[in-house]
Amino acid sequence: MTSLGGSSSSTTEYTVRVPKNTSKKYNIMAFNSGDRVNCSTWTQARMERDMSARRIYGEEETQEGAAGSEFGKKQREEARRKKFGIVTREFKVEDQPWILKVNGKAGKRFKGQKKGGVTENASYYIFTQCPDGAFEAFPVNGWYNFTPLAKHRTLTAEEAEEEWGRRNKVVNHFSIMLQRRFREQERGEDEDDEGEKSGKKKKKKGGRGGDLRIHDLEDDLEMSSDDSDSSMGEDGESKTKAKKDTGKGKGKKKKKKSNEHEALEDSDDGDYEGLEVDYMSDESSSDEEPEKGKSTKGGEEHPKGIDEASESEEESEEEKQNEEEAKEEEEEEEGKKTPVQVEKKKKKDSSGESESSDDSDIEGETASALFMKKRTPPKRGGGRGSAGSSRTGSRPGTPSIDSASTSNTLRAAASKLEQAKSLFPTGKRQTQGPSTDSPAAKRLKMEPSSQSPVPSGKTTPQPPSGKSTPSSSDVQLTEEAVRRYLIRKPMTTKDLLKKFQTKRTGLSSEQTVNVLAQILKRLNPERKNVNDKMHFYLTE
Amino acid sequence: MSDKTEVNLTGVKQSKGVWLVKVPKYLSHQWDKATEKGEVGTLTIGKKQGKTEVHFSLNEELTALGALGEKDASLQVPRDHPFTMNTVGGQTMAVFSHSEAGEISLEGMVVHRAECRPVVNDNYMKLKKLQIQETTKPQRLSQQLEKAITTVFKPVANHDFNVEYEKKKKSDGKMVRAERQVVLDMLFSAFEKHQYYNIKDLVDITKQPVTYLKEIMREIGTYNSKGAHKSTWELKPEYRHYQSAEEEEEMQTA
Repeated sequence: MTSLGGSSSSTTEYTVRVPKNTSKKYNIMAFNSGDRVNCSTWTQARMERDMSARRIYGEEETQEGAAGSEFGKKQREEARRKKFGIVTREFKVEDQPWILKVNGKAGKRFKGQKKGGVTENASYYIFTQCPDGAFEAFPVNGWYNFTPLAKHRTLTAEEAEEEWGRRNKVVNHFSIMLQRRFREQERGEDEDDEGEKSGKKKKKKGGRGGDLRIHDLEDDLEMSSDDSDSSMGEDGESKTKAKKDTGKGKGKKKKKKSNEHEALEDSDDGDYEGLEVDYMSDESSSDEEPEKGKSTKGGEEHPKGIDEASESEEESEEEKQNEEEAKEEEEEEEGKKTPVQVEKKKKKDSSGESESSDDSDIEGETASALFMKKRTPPKRGGGRGSAGSSRTGSRPGTPSIDSASTSNTLRAAASKLEQAKSLFPTGKRQTQGPSTDSPAAKRLKMEPSSQSPVPSGKTTPQPPSGKSTPSSSDVQLTEEAVRRYLIRKPMTTKDLLKKFQTKRTGLSSEQTVNVLAQILKRLNPERKNVNDKMHFYLTE
Repeated sequence: MSDKTEVNLTGVKQSKGVWLVKVPKYLSHQWDKATEKGEVGTLTIGKKQGKTEVHFSLNEELTALGALGEKDASLQVPRDHPFTMNTVGGQTMAVFSHSEAGEISLEGMVVHRAECRPVVNDNYMKLKKLQIQETTKPQRLSQQLEKAITTVFKPVANHDFNVEYEKKKKSDGKMVRAERQVVLDMLFSAFEKHQYYNIKDLVDITKQPVTYLKEIMREIGTYNSKGAHKSTWELKPEYRHYQSAEEEEEMQTA
């Protein structure tokens, strides 16, 4: 260092060194003057490369090897790209922006983007003064412009465009971001929900398996969901075989059939899914069923139910299911069919094989009396008869099974009781029906005398004399009795009729119908529509 | 998140002021030729009538344009370079460095900006002219030839490459059908690596005649004629076992 004395100038000379062994690369960190950045206030700073662009450049491989990959795919892709002249820029780490975080989490954040063209025509050097007074010049490797990053939420381009369209209408600009936040929350919840829902639905289905189905509404609700199909279908199958509640099978079968059986065409009249006939056989039976299904509407279901009740349980179950499906497929219009089916199924008569047309007539007439609906009794009877016979014919093996499985149903209990009663005229009930459903059990308890089976009756010979004596009958068709029933539980006319069997009350079928109608008029019970069937009930 | 490097803020804390100097390319070239010690010149800072003047003077030995040691008298890089000093002008500029090891440190704040200008004289002008001439030269050059080239493209009865190929074919002979089980083994191990294969690739791998191979493939696999993996063969689902690491040998049929 030499200092020259000059006239009015004082100069000092410094040596300039350009160190060769620089392992460090120098860069410029440039801030915008408007940001008012003061580096001396920084207590702590962290910096790293922003590698988010790597994904874009990476051209992610779907999967290396094994599933989903093709042999030689990479080479082929490259050859293709070359052919079309597509040049993909390499991902250079050196050129990636920096992310600078100052003063920890709560502090500022900056993004430093490399400025291009800095070192092309001129070189920048950093001159620093060393303690020995000489200057050291370091070449500048790169120039990064650091801009502060917004911490507050911003709208995306699409959202911004939307808001721009509404700018004249929106007064409260704070609400814009609030709404966005709500939307995001919802989206997050939705995703969770979907996951949960599917799980729930499956659980629901499983749960329904063994329960007594009372409401078809649930079925309807579930039927709308797609994933129910497969599981439902499977369940449907097992259902026919095992004894489960029909409602479920009904819905499921329908879906299953419509979706899974390619053999099935779109619901036509003739199709009747029938199809799911386990017991093979007769097309006739399946044909008949749809017919029957068609003919029965609303109150007409009573007779039908009885008919079926006379059949073996499984038979009826099967048929009913088939019918239901048939009905469902046939018509959305007659939504009542399904409830009918359900009802029928509930009122299974295990023992019954033959129906007594009397009873069926009664039911029909009763229904008409009560509901004032048109019927085609003869048709029904005929249909029923044939159906019944065909059914029995088609299922030779079932009766034995039936008797075994009857115990589960109300009818079974009833028939057993009756048998027991016949043996023990005192009216003691020996067999309560081992595994009666709870409602059945309740009903048994409710009724003073033994349960009376469906009028269709069994083939078991029972001397009428031993049973029906009006005075000693257990069931009197009185207003009191009807009231009692209705208070306890909503019932349809059919149910009521079953309570007051002709054999018990000693009244003829016509009489029963009339009396019951009168009683009901007097009582004027409230009506409720369950499963598309009119139920009466009283609340006191 | 990748590891963040803690920035060494000592430079800033000490408020080290640095100068950012813009230096012409040729000068930086000359500086690269400096000796081990790195001395390239002298910087003269003087105060003339109140104004600060900075002047850089290049060392003698670095003025030669050519390689070091060569004294090309004709063209020399100018020696005198006055610096033009500018203030930073409100813009905050800091200098940070990062090393090979990934350490980042803040070296200091820029307090002055300067531009290194050469003194314009004839020498410099000549130098510049040379530079321009070099840069304006086109990268590709069309050159007219006097004689036609006869050495490269001659009509040939059969190209060399072709001849080789045929010889290879002859020597290798036709592909022989191996045992079915052996082929199946080869196929299954191939399908372990990738799911979709072209029939040509399979032929290449197994060295079996095409018809035989197709027969076997039809038995254990399916052909995709549409979709993402067009015209490729893949194993039938029952043979596939991509999730677990189980060998497909279990699934092989005898």
